[in-house]
Amino acid sequence: MLLIKIAWRNIWRSKLRSAVVMLAIASGLVGGLFSSAWMNGMAKQRVKDTFSIETAHIQFHNAEFADNFDVKKTILNTEEKLEELSKTEGIKAVTSRLKTSAMAATANKNMGVTIVGILPKNEKEVFGLYKKLDSANGDFFETKKKNSIVISKALATELKAKLKSKIVLTFQDYNGEITGAAFKVIGIFKTTNSTWDKMHVFVRAADLRKVLELPEGQSHEIDILLDDYNQAMIISEQLQKRYPDVLSEDWSKIQPYINFITKYMDIMMGVFMLIILGALGFGIVNTMLMVILERTRELGMLMAIGMTKRRVFVMIMYETIFLALVGALLGELISMLLINYYGNAGIDLSSMAEGLETVGYSVITFPELEPVRYIQITVMVFATGILASIYPAIKALKLDPASAIRTI
Amino acid sequence: MTVIKIKDLTKTYTDTAVPVHAVNGINLDIKEGEFTAIVGPSGCGKTTLMNMIGGIEDPTSGSVEVNGIDIDKLSSHEMINFRLKNIGFVFQAYNLIPVLTAKENVEFIMQLQNRDKDEMDKRTISLLESVGLGDRLNSRPNQLSGGEQQRVAVARALASKPKFVLADEPTANLDSHATSQLLDIMERLNKEENITFIFSTHDQRVVDKAHRIITLLDGEVISDEITKRAEGKEK
Repeated sequence: MLLIKIAWRNIWRSKLRSAVVMLAIASGLVGGLFSSAWMNGMAKQRVKDTFSIETAHIQFHNAEFADNFDVKKTILNTEEKLEELSKTEGIKAVTSRLKTSAMAATANKNMGVTIVGILPKNEKEVFGLYKKLDSANGDFFETKKKNSIVISKALATELKAKLKSKIVLTFQDYNGEITGAAFKVIGIFKTTNSTWDKMHVFVRAADLRKVLELPEGQSHEIDILLDDYNQAMIISEQLQKRYPDVLSEDWSKIQPYINFITKYMDIMMGVFMLIILGALGFGIVNTMLMVILERTRELGMLMAIGMTKRRVFVMIMYETIFLALVGALLGELISMLLINYYGNAGIDLSSMAEGLETVGYSVITFPELEPVRYIQITVMVFATGILASIYPAIKALKLDPASAIRTI
Repeated sequence: MTVIKIKDLTKTYTDTAVPVHAVNGINLDIKEGEFTAIVGPSGCGKTTLMNMIGGIEDPTSGSVEVNGIDIDKLSSHEMINFRLKNIGFVFQAYNLIPVLTAKENVEFIMQLQNRDKDEMDKRTISLLESVGLGDRLNSRPNQLSGGEQQRVAVARALASKPKFVLADEPTANLDSHATSQLLDIMERLNKEENITFIFSTHDQRVVDKAHRIITLLDGEVISDEITKRAEGKEK
C-alpha cells in the first residue's frame, strides 16, 4: 500500500508532463479503438447483410449442384426435411429455394441472372430481403398474382425496367429444353451490394417449378437460420450426418470471404493496437527515464535510508502502470462515448457510395466494439506499462546511493 | 560501550584522472550516547567517512564495525536491511519524500520495517511532537520551512530506533534560528534518550554544541577532542 500511495502521488508531481503522456496514450487509444470499431462495424454489417440477404447460416445443396447449377441436381424430399429441420434445436427458421441461371430480357437489353424461386412466407422468416423494398417500390409477393418478379434497382436500371414492366426469363428446364416465361415486376429492392443485386431476381417457387417442370418435393437449396450463427459449424456437421444425401455447408464455407473478414478484423485490430501500444510504450519509457534522471538524488536517499532495490523497482513499475492506465482509461472512456454516439447516429459515407456498394458495404456505417475489447485493451495497456517500466526501473536500480545523493 | 569501531579506513577514488585519497588510514571508536561532530574544510573527507560509516560507500581498505559487525562483509541486500534497522540518516537537503506528509515520512521507515500500525501511529506522533511539529503532521515538505523539514528528517531518522544517527551537514541550508532549534532538539534527544549522533559540519554553531570534535584534514584525523559540554552531560 505504501508503494502504491507513493507511486500514485508521484505521477501527479509533474502534472503537465503526466497529463501530456496520459493524453498521448488516450488519443492513441481513441484513434485505435475508434478506427477498429469503425472497421468492425463495417465488417459486422457486411456479415449481417450477407446472412440476411444472401446465405442464411447453413445451406443444403445437392453435392453436384454447385458445380454448374444443373437444375437436375436437386435435394429430394424437401418438405420432410423442412419439417424436421424446423423442429431441430438451435434452428430458428428454414426455407427452400429453386435456383437456375437465366437470361433476363426487356425490350431494351438482356442480362444474365440467377432466378431464385422462393416460398414467400418461409423466405421472410429466414431472409430480410423483403425489408429492402420501400412502399414506393412495390412489395415482396404480397399479392398472389402469378408470374410476379422482384428485381433489384441496379438491374432495373440496367434493363431500363420499372414496376409493372415485363421481363422475359429464358432458361433450360428440367428436361434440358430451352424454355422461358414473362414475369411482371412487382417489387424493386436495393441492398448494400450492387454487384449481388444485379445478378439475382426473385420469383415464386411455384411459378418457377411449373416452367422448369421440376417435380414436386425437389428443390435446389435449403436455407437454415440459427439462433446463434457461431454454432453454424457444429450444427452443420450434425446435419450432414443426419442428411448424407445432401451437402451441408455453414456460412464460412459458403462465403469464405465473410469468414475471412471476421478473422481479418480480429487480426487487424490486434496488429493496430500492438503498433499503437508499442509507440506509446516507447513514449512511456522516455518519460520514465526523465523521471529517474530528475529524481536521482531522491532515489539515492530512499536507497540510503533502507528502501530495498526490489521496492524501488516495484515503485517505478507502479508509477509507469498508473501513468499508462490513467491514460488508457481516459482514452477508453472517450472512445466509448464516441463509438456509442456514432454507433447510433452512424457515419455517412455517401461520397463513396458507388465504390462501397460495389463491394457490398453499406453507405452508412455504425461503429461497434464488443465490451470484451475494452477489457482486452486494458490488459494490453497494463502489460505495456509493465514492459515499459522495466528499463527505467533497471536504470534506477543501477544508481549508486552515494553518488546519487551527491547529484544536484 | 563502543557502537562504531573504525580500523585503518581508507578510500581512494580511482575513477578520476589522478587517484584521490579521500580517507587515509582513519582509526576511531565512537561510543554509545556520543554527540560527535566531524569537522574540517571542504574536501577533507567528512562526507566520504560518513558514507562509509553508514555503509553507503565501500572502503578501499580497512573496516567499519557496528556493534561488532563488519559492515563491509554484508551483501548489498543485507546492507540495506542493516541500515534500515541500525542507522538513521539526516542529509543536507532533499531529505524527505516530497509526496508524503510529515507523518507519512516518519512512518515510511517503520512501514519498511513492517511495524504494527498502532505502534507506528504512536511513535510517529511522539517523535514529531518531540521535534516540535505535533501540529504539522499532515503538512507536506513543500508546506514546511527548511528547518521544519530537517526536524521531520530527524524524527524519521529516529523512527527505526537506530543504534546511531548520521547527519551530513544538517544545518547547511538553515538560518541561525532554525539551526539553533535543530541543534537543541538533537542535543535534547541525545541527553534524554542517549541517542548517538554523528554529524559532519563546518558550521561553528554546530561545533559549539558538540561533545566530541573530530577534525579531518586531507583524509586524516588531525585532532580528536572531548569538549566541556560532554563533561556537563556526564555530570
